[in-house]
Amino acid sequence: MEKLVEILKKYNPDVDYYTNEHIIDEEALDSFDIISLVADIDREFDVEITAKDIIPENFNSAKKIYELIERLS
Amino acid sequence: MEINSLKFIIFVAVVILLYFLTPKKYKWGILLISSYLFYWINSNQLIIFIIITTISIYLLGLLLGKIDKKLKLQCENVTKEEKKNLKERAKTKRKIIVFVALIINLGILGVIKYFNFFCGNINILLNLFNINIQIPSMKFVLPIGISYYTLQALSYVIDIYRQKIEADKNIGRVALFLVFFPQIVEGPIGRYKDLANQLYNPHKIEFNHIKNGTLLAIWGLFQKMVIADRLGIFVDAVFSNHLQYSGFIVVCAVLFYTFQIYADFAGCINIVSGVAEIFGISLAENFRRPFFSRSIQEFWKRWNITLGVWLKEYIFYSVAFSKWCLNLTTKLNLKLKKYKHLAKTLSALCPLFFVWIANGLWHGASWKYIFYGMYYFIIMAIGMMLTPILKKLCKYLKINVNSKKYKIWQILRTFFIVNIGMLIFRAADISSAFSILKSMFDFSTFGEFFNGKIFTLGLDVGEFIILGISLIIMLIVDFLQEKNYHIREEIEKRNVVLRWSIYYAGIFSIIIFGIYGKDYNPSSFIYGQF
Repeated sequence: MEKLVEILKKYNPDVDYYTNEHIIDEEALDSFDIISLVADIDREFDVEITAKDIIPENFNSAKKIYELIERLS
Repeated sequence: MEINSLKFIIFVAVVILLYFLTPKKYKWGILLISSYLFYWINSNQLIIFIIITTISIYLLGLLLGKIDKKLKLQCENVTKEEKKNLKERAKTKRKIIVFVALIINLGILGVIKYFNFFCGNINILLNLFNINIQIPSMKFVLPIGISYYTLQALSYVIDIYRQKIEADKNIGRVALFLVFFPQIVEGPIGRYKDLANQLYNPHKIEFNHIKNGTLLAIWGLFQKMVIADRLGIFVDAVFSNHLQYSGFIVVCAVLFYTFQIYADFAGCINIVSGVAEIFGISLAENFRRPFFSRSIQEFWKRWNITLGVWLKEYIFYSVAFSKWCLNLTTKLNLKLKKYKHLAKTLSALCPLFFVWIANGLWHGASWKYIFYGMYYFIIMAIGMMLTPILKKLCKYLKINVNSKKYKIWQILRTFFIVNIGMLIFRAADISSAFSILKSMFDFSTFGEFFNGKIFTLGLDVGEFIILGISLIIMLIVDFLQEKNYHIREEIEKRNVVLRWSIYYAGIFSIIIFGIYGKDYNPSSFIYGQF
């Protein structure tokens, strides 16, 4: 989880990723950030996130993203 | 049968009557039969194409569902390694099925809509290399709504592939989702999860649905017949003979076309949504006051919304999250560590390029439409690249980006860019577009503003007054809606005299001020041709 938060901080350091559960709804990350983020996650966690996983519910919090990674690994 | 014709009004009235008289269980059947009848009236034997599309996506959808179910059963009580192998095998099969769906449906669309364009270009290439072979062109008639229902069909199969929905076992529901009669003409492009059950489930007669739907359809007719078709007279006169005009007249024609296409397309969507609302069916929103957009990105989130969403879901995401694009993004992120914004922009531009090529080609098979797509792609690319510089500049110049003045400046800037886009869209070809654009800046003819030449292009002073008042009404309605003012509900609250005066004014303005063609034939909708 810490590794993930570290990656997320690269895109928007002002967000508290441990508490914020509305990253996408609050537009803290935009859809262009998500492309780079997915590329980073794929590389760092050796998973394959595809277009079907790109829904706000999967990216609204660090916890949700981590759950997605666990599901895919 | 145009949807702004008397025939259509009678058709709708009969279908409504039959729908509400039919027992609950069979109501969807009335919608399906009437939709196929409407299709047959408009496209005759070309109905075969929508039937092929329906059967193909229904069967391929079932096949996808079957593979998923089989995989679930096979994955019980097996090792992790075996599970992985089974998943891989299922993945390959699923990919083949989606590929077949794409080939069948894009194949039909490609041959009917793009065959002559591609062959024409191949012929030019063959000529360039002195190869004496020519592919003959063929005459195709475009079945109505093919560009709309094909996108809906593909979204159905891809959503099953992405496991967002389950394959439907009821072919009637799939068929109705594709062919629903008011929607088939110009969209809005519906998603299966939002629309299929709404169409299939029975709806009761509700006075509010009938009243609100009728009012929305009347407003759509007003936009189309009083505004769009009136503007079209002037626009056609200038664009069909553009070499004769310059300066002020051309500026007016471009501006008028922007309003014409908005009133025409949004008007059609309002008629379609109004008719659907009478049945108790709520269609997706396709326009959200686009001229109040502060950027081009925002404009495309407010204009032809359902096409934008489709392109984002099925082109942008598919390209952006494909292996090769993610590899490219990784490389860019690593190589441009110091220039994060540049890396982010470049990796976003790659899928955006495909989105805009698809957007352009969807509108029509010609280089002009590809150029139209590329125009927006370049505008967006420049906008994205310059964002940090503009931010710094505003900070340096102490410009308050949240001030009203700055917002108005952004709206006007966006509106100007949109007008140039509309010019490209309306011009006969790319060279005409450039010629018209150049002639707009001929300031020597701006005296025509005073000499009355503007009143010789199909619209006299009286027509201009009607047009001016109608446009102001449309812009006020948009402005009020932008301010979250629910106009139909507000009218409802007024006393009976005022309320009915507004209703009658709407109806009679269409009858009296509507533009009718020869023998009172209604004119076609611009987006109907796509």
